[in-house]
Amino acid sequence: MIKLINLTKKYGNLTAVNNINLTVAQGEVFGFLGPNGAGKTTTIRMMAGLLQPTSGTVRIGGFDIQTEPLKAKYITGFIPDRPFLYEKLTAMEFMHFVARLYEMQDSTKHISELLDLFGLPDWKDELVENFSHGMKQRLVMASALLHDPKVLVVDEPMVGLDPRGARLVKDIFKDLASKGVTVFLSTHTLEIVEQMCTRVAIINNADIIAEGSVEDLGRMARMEKSHLEPIFLRLTGGDEAV
Amino acid sequence: MLLLLTPRYKALRNRFTRLEPGDGTKTLVLVLLGLAFWAFLFWISFRVLGYFRTIEGLGDLLALRLLSMILLTFFSILLFSNVVTALSTFYLSGELEILLSSPVKIESIYRTKFIETLLDSSWMTLVYGLPVFIAYGIVFRAGISYYLGLFLTILPFLMIPASIGILVTMLLVHAFPARRAKDIIVLLGLLFFVVVYILFRTLQPEKLVDPDAFPSVVQYLTAMRAPISPLIPSSWAAEILAPLLRKTRGEATFYLMMLWSTGLAGIVIGEWVSQIIFYAGWSRSQEGKKAMISRSRLAEAFFSVVAKPFHGKKQAIVLKDIKLFFRDASQWSQLFLIFALMVVYIYSFKLLPVDRATMPTFYLQNLISFLNLGMVGFVASSVAVRFVFPAVSLEGVSFWIIRSAPLSLTDFLWAKFWSSLLPLLVLSEILIILSNILLKVTPFMMGLGIVTVFIMAFGITSLGVGLGAVFPKFKHENVAQIPTGFGGIVYMILTMLFIGAVITLEAWPVFNIFSAQTFGRPISVLGWISIVLCFVLVVAINILALLLPMQIGLKRLSAREV
Repeated sequence: MIKLINLTKKYGNLTAVNNINLTVAQGEVFGFLGPNGAGKTTTIRMMAGLLQPTSGTVRIGGFDIQTEPLKAKYITGFIPDRPFLYEKLTAMEFMHFVARLYEMQDSTKHISELLDLFGLPDWKDELVENFSHGMKQRLVMASALLHDPKVLVVDEPMVGLDPRGARLVKDIFKDLASKGVTVFLSTHTLEIVEQMCTRVAIINNADIIAEGSVEDLGRMARMEKSHLEPIFLRLTGGDEAV
Repeated sequence: MLLLLTPRYKALRNRFTRLEPGDGTKTLVLVLLGLAFWAFLFWISFRVLGYFRTIEGLGDLLALRLLSMILLTFFSILLFSNVVTALSTFYLSGELEILLSSPVKIESIYRTKFIETLLDSSWMTLVYGLPVFIAYGIVFRAGISYYLGLFLTILPFLMIPASIGILVTMLLVHAFPARRAKDIIVLLGLLFFVVVYILFRTLQPEKLVDPDAFPSVVQYLTAMRAPISPLIPSSWAAEILAPLLRKTRGEATFYLMMLWSTGLAGIVIGEWVSQIIFYAGWSRSQEGKKAMISRSRLAEAFFSVVAKPFHGKKQAIVLKDIKLFFRDASQWSQLFLIFALMVVYIYSFKLLPVDRATMPTFYLQNLISFLNLGMVGFVASSVAVRFVFPAVSLEGVSFWIIRSAPLSLTDFLWAKFWSSLLPLLVLSEILIILSNILLKVTPFMMGLGIVTVFIMAFGITSLGVGLGAVFPKFKHENVAQIPTGFGGIVYMILTMLFIGAVITLEAWPVFNIFSAQTFGRPISVLGWISIVLCFVLVVAINILALLLPMQIGLKRLSAREV
């Protein structure tokens, strides 16, 4: 469902993403890990069509995001790390706006269901500027699911969410995966990766340094039956600093 | 306090030392344009003052009267500018969270923010005021005492409006619920400008240089000598500079002391007030607001009607833009400026002394009507630089929503184009039709005006949307910042060239057709061919102005990374 082929992004002399290759199958919850500045957000933004790759290809559901961007975007839901929204629209108006961008007819019922699901029914007629960070994040998630995407690309979903919100998001992602939705998830919350992800890739200094299940990564780090945190630290060289 | 100013200074230093590719050229162009404008101001001041000096007896009086008026204008601009700037520096700036959570005294924050406000709001007035003051010094052959006096006058002259502006802002934020103060300041400021502008035009200050407008010399001299107001600090500044210019005995020292004592007292009073109300006001400014009127059923119905001509995704964009426009006070309040501009523009045509001119009235009326085409184009582009050029930038940091949605940038830009074109078209046509009615022009000139303005509006809008996409400013604090950058200047220059080209190409055929109609001069076959060719070229330029900027904007925006 997702294919990254020789994907590279350079900013002048700096290589942010270096020739990475990844394949994610339908219904997988794929964890994308890495230290700060490793290239996670750059990769995710290329997948969402916000950044142009220097070379290489991103394919979503068989559509190249560069040559067939609209087809790829119709089946993708994107949740960025920072929920920048139109502050002067209400939650309901924002959802309707997104629904129209995806050419959805009669979306009101679905919108209400999603706002209920994300705990925002009492806030639907409030201006977004009055929302807390966590509420904005929940609204972005609701809007990303509005068009029933086949692929969900998520950058740091738990930032700003309270424990209840975090639990809700975990449940929703699991449910989506069980319905065949592919979730590509970048996060620093390793506990979530352990609980949810079928496979994981670790990016460090722009290169993919490990890929596989959590158990596979443990074997690579020679730390079988260990939690992901020490594995991650060893693979990324972070354990020396600790 | 110096420590608190360090981040600002270092950020400024980094801006100049860490330039990105293309920044150098932009800075160079901006500096050159700034210098050219500075030189132009100096030249025009020098010429006007030089001319005044040639008027025996009255010249110096006129020049000094003009100085008082300039200082009063500067003072008014500074006052308004300080109120607006203080709102940003004292209440909306992001660093306040760090400062207020640190062990820093409120008075230290006040002093730091005072300096920031003063510098931010005054530097431009100071830079562009200098050529005028220098021109005064040179024309009056003033000695070193004038320049020294000028230096000593400027600082307190800037301090007074800064302290008053900050005080007014603190009181407004204290009096009104939370962020409403921002809307109120924007609104009050604009209303203030509109009233002053309309008053200024209706008082017709140009009559001061036209002694014929006064029944007697005595009345004229009385009007000239009358002080603007002895209580306004700009009058004190004038009282300091006038004797230094004329090398006569005056009360410069007294007025200099008045300025300094008032300036320093303003700072002390502001510091006291800040200790009492600043923190509470800042705390309240963090609260939310409602936008009740723009969310009423009536408003909703209005928005739906306006967006009706559009369909699908374009309608979604237009509807969203209209809602955001009417819910953001910094955007909708600019409508007052347009209204004032229209009133003054049309009123000026009513005042035109066409019948007193030496040329035949009929001929002059139609000549002015033709030049009016260019003027309406200029007014339309001045409006467009505030409303159309920012259309893309207004997406702000939310632009990721558009880019990650299945919406082509072509649809996005054309949605912006059509929603901007319609109001601009209505405004331009109202201006040309009303001014032509007041001028009593021929049906041919009326038709020409309506058609030319109609097609030019497409080019002016396309240039605005297209260049707005080439130079987007997604990270802005308010809409007024968007047209003031490099892109805004490029837009104004290109629009002027476009309007100039259209008017120039129309001038010759219009003159021939008009002469043929009025004086019965026949037009040869070659003449007709040339006329048709000129109009074809006009159409070609307009098609080019419509398509090219949109295409370039689309290309640049597509390549832009979010």
